[in-house]
Order: sequence, then C-alpha cells, then structure tokens
Amino acid sequence: MNDNEIEKALATGDWGVDTESALARFRLRAERERVVPIVAAPRRRVATGWIRGLAAAAAVVVVAGALALSGAADTVLKIFEPKQVVGVPVTQSDVSYLGQACGGLSPQQCLGAYGTFAWTTPPQPKEVQTLSLAAGAAGFSVQTPSSLPSSVTGQPRYGVVNQSSATYTFSADATRQAAANQSRTIPPLPANIDGARLFITGGPAVVQVWGAPANANPGELANIPTLVVGQAKAPVISSDGVTVAELQSYLLKQPGISPQLAAAIRAIVDPASTLPVPVPAELAISHPVTVQGVQGLFIGDNTGIASAVVWQKGGMIYEVIGSLTEAQALSVANSMR
Amino acid sequence: MTLPAGGREGAGPLPAAFERLFRGEYARVVGIAQRVLGDQGEAEDVAQEVFMSFYRAHPADAPYAAPWLHAAAAHAALNALRARGRRSRRETAEAMPSDTLAPDDPAAIAVATETRDEVRTVLARIPERSAALLALRYSGLSYAEIAQALDVRASSVGTLLRRAEDAFRREMR
Repeated sequence: MNDNEIEKALATGDWGVDTESALARFRLRAERERVVPIVAAPRRRVATGWIRGLAAAAAVVVVAGALALSGAADTVLKIFEPKQVVGVPVTQSDVSYLGQACGGLSPQQCLGAYGTFAWTTPPQPKEVQTLSLAAGAAGFSVQTPSSLPSSVTGQPRYGVVNQSSATYTFSADATRQAAANQSRTIPPLPANIDGARLFITGGPAVVQVWGAPANANPGELANIPTLVVGQAKAPVISSDGVTVAELQSYLLKQPGISPQLAAAIRAIVDPASTLPVPVPAELAISHPVTVQGVQGLFIGDNTGIASAVVWQKGGMIYEVIGSLTEAQALSVANSMR
Repeated sequence: MTLPAGGREGAGPLPAAFERLFRGEYARVVGIAQRVLGDQGEAEDVAQEVFMSFYRAHPADAPYAAPWLHAAAAHAALNALRARGRRSRRETAEAMPSDTLAPDDPAAIAVATETRDEVRTVLARIPERSAALLALRYSGLSYAEIAQALDVRASSVGTLLRRAEDAFRREMR
C-alpha cells in the first residue's frame, strides 16, 4: 500500500460544508445552554504569577484533603495523611453550587462560612536559581525528569514553597450567620463539631517549570508553561475532636452537592489515607495508572491536549502537568530520578 | 462570585473574534473528523463539540486556537470512532460519496464498503498519535501545522508520519 493508496483509503469525498448553517446551529446551542465565552484578561507579571498559581494549587490540595477527614479523637490526633490519590468527578452543578455559596468571597473567606481559618505559617513561594538550592530550601531530595518530550525545551525555572500550617475552627455561630447573610438554608453544625479544630500542615514543595520565560508578555496565554513538575511533602491534618462519620456526613448534607459527588466521596475506601483530586466531570477524564511502581492518577482534558499525572510515594506527592499526551506524561513521570 | 483572570463575561451574541475563528476553521475541523469517521454528519457533530469545548475554555483570539482545534478534532473523532464501534455496512454504504461509486454496481459498493469499514477499524486500533497524524496530514495540513497541533518538532513530522503510515499498512490487509 503506497501513499496514494493510503490517501484513497482515507478519502471521504468532497461534499462541502455549510459553515453559516453550522455557525447558526452553534449560536442556538450557546444561547440555549447559556454558554458564555472566555475572554482574555490581562495578567499581572507572569514571572511571579506561576509561583502564585503554585501556592493556590497547594491550597487547593490542602482544602481537598480536608474533604477526606477521618478518625475520632479526644486529643490531637493525626487523622489524614495521604498514601494514595484518587479522582473525584466534580460536575458543573457542584462548581455552580460552590460558586453561589462562596459568592464574592475568597477561598479563605468561603471557609469562614463554617468557622475560622487562620494561617499559623502562611505559604511564601519564592524562586531560586538552581535545583540544589531548591532542594536545600525544601529540606528533601528533589527528583527531576531524566528525559523530556521534544516539545519541552529550554532550561527549567525553580520555585520553592515553605512548609505551611493553618488552624481551622468550626463554629456553629459562623455557619448560622453565613446562611443568614446569603439567605440560604444550611444544615446546622452538629454540637459536637462546634468548636472542634483542624491542624493542617502542607509542604514544603518544589516546582520545576519549563516554558515560563522571565520576560514573558503578560497578556499572552502562549506563555503558559509547557511542563510543570511538582514535588511536595504530603499534607497532614490533625484534629482535636472531629469524627469521620460526623464530618463527612455533615459535608455531604450540604445543599447542591450532586449525588455523583457524594457517591464518589463515600466510595473512598480509606479516607484517612486517600487524597481526593477534584476532576471536572464535563471537561476531563481520569483513570488510575501505575507510576514509579505505585498507583497514581491520570487526568486529561477531553481534547487529549493537556495531561496530568499525580501520585504519592514515600511520603511525597508528585505531579507532572503539561501539554502532553498520556504516554508522554507517564514517560516523564517514570523518568524522574 | 469574583472571577479569576481569564474569566467570563455576561451572555450575549458570539464575539466577533470567535465567529471569525469558526468561519475560518470549521471546514478544516470537519475535514479532519471526517477522515477519521468517514461520515460527514458525525464529523459535523464532532466539530460542534470541538468548537464548544474551545468556546467554553479559551479566548477566541488565543494564538494557539487553530492548532488546538485541529488536534482536538482528531482526538475527539477518534474517541467517537471507538465509541460507536463498527458501523453496519448499509449505513456506511449510504454515507459513501456518490462520485466514488457506481450506483448500479452492488459488488463495487460491497468491496468499497468493506475497505472503508476496515480503514476505520485500523484507525481505532493503531496508536492514537499515529491515527491523529494520518487524519491531519491527509486532510491537508502542512508539516508545520501538524507540528503545532501535536506539539512536536516540525523536523520530526516526516519521520512520525512514515511510522504512522507503516503502522497503518501493517494493520490493513
């Protein structure tokens, strides 16, 4: 079979398309589903923007970890330390609910709807010049990919986030007040959760970023990094009085949580050691993969363009994120030494 | 809710930049999907989904818009191909372009239909990147455009394409 024969085999005939009719069909659907477009917004200095993003991502992991709280204790006990990761599909309705519940609030203020969040040691991301400086600042040996896809070029930049800690204190008064302010009905906080505290520790973390030039034009999305490799000490959460049954049950009673999300959280066999990673159900796929000899999680967007692999090994959480195919992402992950 | 940078504006007519992008790329996106699926109706459905995915998540004037759409068309069509399984011969025969078959020759229709069925089966079986490469190349994209869409070096496209063609030949009878 020569090239001409392949072309003939793949030929489909020239039928022509009616672009205007297709555009009209698209308009109707966008209007019916009330889809609104993304618009480019100027970004602040990209040189430090990616480090801020890292801090935000670290915070998300810590908050996600709080969803998996487990264990009963009268005194301070370690109740969450991830040994594995699992994907939790989050639907548009879940996101919409959370958006409404936290309307106009920062994540920290949103947490205020159920109590008081206070940093003991806030995360302070900084950029360093070499991998050894990053390892020295983090206090652990940093793994780096030994091979990269041809699409990833140039020298990486390094960021470090210090070990951060925070305390969260549940408050029935705050819950009532937030519900009243938002004219919403929220189940009252059970008396035995009122006043209970969580002690959350995350990091240190090191990120290696390819494709984030120092002189990037702030407005250009093309300056999104091509590859991000992260390594962080696994987050740990302790509590002085919350049980798995009480907290998980209360969280899942919140109005607007979809049955699918509730079922996915309930399906976690060992919530005390499983880090749930939120996966947008409509935009991405995820499935378990074997990475570095352990079970990890692959997440890819529906187009097959962006991929992420997350895994836990030896008390560390690792992640590889980029414009990669699944095979490339796994290859990068397995090449880390 | 406070929107992040790159957030959304209120609902309204499609932005002019998006309409320009749609008009400029729709035929090509359909063409890529059609190479994979062999069916224009399905290809147009895939194209609608691809544009909607882009519209929901990316600004229309993003410099990567066209390569993104090309790659997404190939991958989304391959996903659809795997999902639908093997189409019936009758359906495929009906989807055949009339100018390539003699309408009064049932034997020719049967042979061509069988070949087209096998082509789709092979595309679903070979590695996804190889299938995507073939769809992009044989729908008329240049090496440079393929390199952008699949995020590979332009100088590697020729080699990757030869490997994809070899894989395709091996799997065909």
